[in-house]
Amino acid sequence: MDHLTKLENQSIFILREVFSSVKNIAMLWSLGKDSNVMVWLAFKAFYGKIPFPLVHVDKKKKFKEMYEFRDKYEKEWNLKLIKGMCPPIEDIDPSLPKAARSAARKTEGLKQILNDYKFKAVIAGIRRDEQGTRAKERFFSPRDDEGTWDIKNQPPEFWDQFHTKYPASVHLRIHPLLSWTEIDIWRYIERENIPIVNLYFSKKGQRYRSLGDKDITNPVKSNAKNIKEIINELEKTKVSERSGRLMDHEEEDVFEKLRSKGYM
Amino acid sequence: MRKVKFSHETVRVVIVGHVDHGKSTLIGRLIFELDQIQDGRYEELKKVSDKRGMVFEWAFLMDALQTERDQGITIDTTQIFFKTKKRNYVFVDAPGHKEFLRNMITGASSADIAFLIVDAEEGIKEQTKKHGYLLKLLGISKVIVVLNKMDKIKYSEDRFNLVQDDIKGYLNLLNVNAQVIIPISARDGENVNNKSKKMKWYKGLNIVESLDDYRVDDLSSSFAPLRLPVQDVYKLRDKRIIVGKIESGKLKNNDEVFFSPSNAKAKVKTIELWNSKKKSVNTGECVGFTIDQDIFVERGNIVSFGQSAPKLVNTFEASIFWLSDNPLNLEKKYTIKLTTAEYKVNFEKINKVIITNDLSKKGVNDILRNDVAEVTISSQLLVPVDNFYDNPSTSRFSIIEGFEVVGGGIVNTDNYPNQRKLTNKTNENIVPISSKISEVDRTAKQKHRPGIIWFTGLSGSGKSTIAKEVEKRMFSKGFNVFILDGDNLRSGLNKDLDFSPEGRMENIRRTAEVAALFSSAGFLVITSLISPYKSERKKARMIRPEIFKEIYIKASLKVCMQRDIKGLYAKASSGEIKNFTGLSAPYEVPDSPDLILETDNISIEKTIDKLENYIIKEFGVL
Repeated sequence: MDHLTKLENQSIFILREVFSSVKNIAMLWSLGKDSNVMVWLAFKAFYGKIPFPLVHVDKKKKFKEMYEFRDKYEKEWNLKLIKGMCPPIEDIDPSLPKAARSAARKTEGLKQILNDYKFKAVIAGIRRDEQGTRAKERFFSPRDDEGTWDIKNQPPEFWDQFHTKYPASVHLRIHPLLSWTEIDIWRYIERENIPIVNLYFSKKGQRYRSLGDKDITNPVKSNAKNIKEIINELEKTKVSERSGRLMDHEEEDVFEKLRSKGYM
Repeated sequence: MRKVKFSHETVRVVIVGHVDHGKSTLIGRLIFELDQIQDGRYEELKKVSDKRGMVFEWAFLMDALQTERDQGITIDTTQIFFKTKKRNYVFVDAPGHKEFLRNMITGASSADIAFLIVDAEEGIKEQTKKHGYLLKLLGISKVIVVLNKMDKIKYSEDRFNLVQDDIKGYLNLLNVNAQVIIPISARDGENVNNKSKKMKWYKGLNIVESLDDYRVDDLSSSFAPLRLPVQDVYKLRDKRIIVGKIESGKLKNNDEVFFSPSNAKAKVKTIELWNSKKKSVNTGECVGFTIDQDIFVERGNIVSFGQSAPKLVNTFEASIFWLSDNPLNLEKKYTIKLTTAEYKVNFEKINKVIITNDLSKKGVNDILRNDVAEVTISSQLLVPVDNFYDNPSTSRFSIIEGFEVVGGGIVNTDNYPNQRKLTNKTNENIVPISSKISEVDRTAKQKHRPGIIWFTGLSGSGKSTIAKEVEKRMFSKGFNVFILDGDNLRSGLNKDLDFSPEGRMENIRRTAEVAALFSSAGFLVITSLISPYKSERKKARMIRPEIFKEIYIKASLKVCMQRDIKGLYAKASSGEIKNFTGLSAPYEVPDSPDLILETDNISIEKTIDKLENYIIKEFGVL
């Protein structure tokens, strides 16, 4: 079995496992490449009809292209979509650095949705190769009612045995793409012909490698105009995927701080 | 140099070993040597090291958490991706501190191959041994041993040889195969991706070469029988799709599949995939299929073929690791999760707690946090399961108590019989006759009612001696009494049976049926066999529960071995006899026997008096 097919099967197994063992679940759809791969895998797992809602936590700061993409595929893919709002920046911890503070709005928006809908598990498309603290994640990762990630006391997880029994106040973050890398994502998008936002492709010598909100994401230098060229570029690059994400570079431990408070 | 073609396969490598022997450092250095540190990352880590007043610390590449960097140890497992000229790798860093064993297990359980790293100056330490043992338990039997910090011992070949012998000796005990033993200095990059000039005496592979040299087994070409644990059943429009992952074997249209534990059979009608079609599917695939029968199927069932179905047991042995702060409690019910099924279980017995230092056994003791042990487990429901060494994915489990995963383990079914009732269905053309003489008529003239006195106890506990004496006494009192003796039956009726769990099970079944026939003829029957399994004794009782009395002939193994009347214990100890109860095969002590006869301290005369009185009280007619 080839590498991509192995990853695909692992993700499908996880999606089916959470659907079967946890009542009331949802999937985060950020409109980025990873998110779309995740939706695609859910089609495979559930035969074309995703049996739970998708959630888009919206800071109203996405690129125009992304909103267009959302509206188009919400219809075309027949998705049950919940659009969540985020609190204003004034409500967020002012001790955080600027970009991180902006990103933290999303954490609060997510908390609001969890609270309104009482979801017991949310599926998120984070990957281990993105960032050091994400590399320490579990596939099934428990959070308390504040969304707190108890990073020093994570449960054991072994042999595809995913633990789902927790007290009512706990919700799970499910990470079906944890083992994928950036280049795996692109190879899979190419193989499966999965739609993506065109911001990933080079225009005037620049492209977005990772899509966050407009206010805290910069494009990177690139001439990659199609998926083949992106894959070629990634095979050679030594620039990190999130180099265009401003928040990652503000302080040594900013990502750990954000994540332990419930950021994806 | 040989030209290597790059392959997209990804090998998962875990690094284990004692705390501070250099796991994280090796990974950092390795990625640097392969020129795969991302731009700006080196400077960033340098800044982080400077901030803490340290020389450059490679481990910070892996140890991303603040507390990890502040304390200089790895707390949780982490993974990092890199590639060589040959292929991709995922490196899994596993904490070496004993407090974080659960994280070590989390990291190591998914690996294809392991690096066991040892500080060449310190040599083997506690966690080196525990990790070595756990690798075996987790199913990783191929290990690359790395002797790190060679710089600290001046790259000495003699010291290397000394530690190397130590490690080889220990791994041999575990039956773990050390593929190579590589002397390195992770900090200075010696023998990581070069031929070290400081260790010219070493002619073997360096770290990168040893990785590329490793061959990954292709699971889909294995000959293991079909195992598909049912994950869920989806109802989509008019279809009922059974979904799950094929853990081993293959499945195709029209195959006749067999469900455990229900024993139901059906034919595969279609294999279901989204937006594509297939007629057959293979190991590792998450599949869905429909069947031609309307039978009940649910999560946790195992799909196999009829002729190669898993064993069905309610008692089995297991090797476990224990992660809870509370010791294992034999009185408590736990849940085990095995494939997609859950079972309520009791830990019946602790067979041994293993001291990983020299692999000696602590004897039967408490199982505490971070211990590894061998236990006997029993479940109310029948569990479809394989032996770990035949089929790992359908024979390993996690242990859950309340909201917590408290441990995990692997199954050994060798010593307990398969409980699948395939042959027990009576042919529908068989119509039993009933006699014109009723049992009451038959026994009206007797001085007693019919009964089954069922002995159970170790070899040498005194079963035969007591049986013969009591038979004599009861006969003289006018009872119609008869002994069914294990050895006697095995030389005739049960001549074809061996001492395997299944052989013992059939031995007990036949004896119970014959005892029931004798009782219908009005006899008081005494059976004298070891009958080691609770489950089988229960079945024997169920034939005629109203007249069945279980008598536990109780003597300690030590006393039985001293007596050794038939000389069997001596032979079993020397290995001449295999599957010997009490030594190499299990004996399950009855929970609530009808009568206990202790033969350790009480005289044979008194014991027989006690049984005689009991029989008269229970079966005598005044």
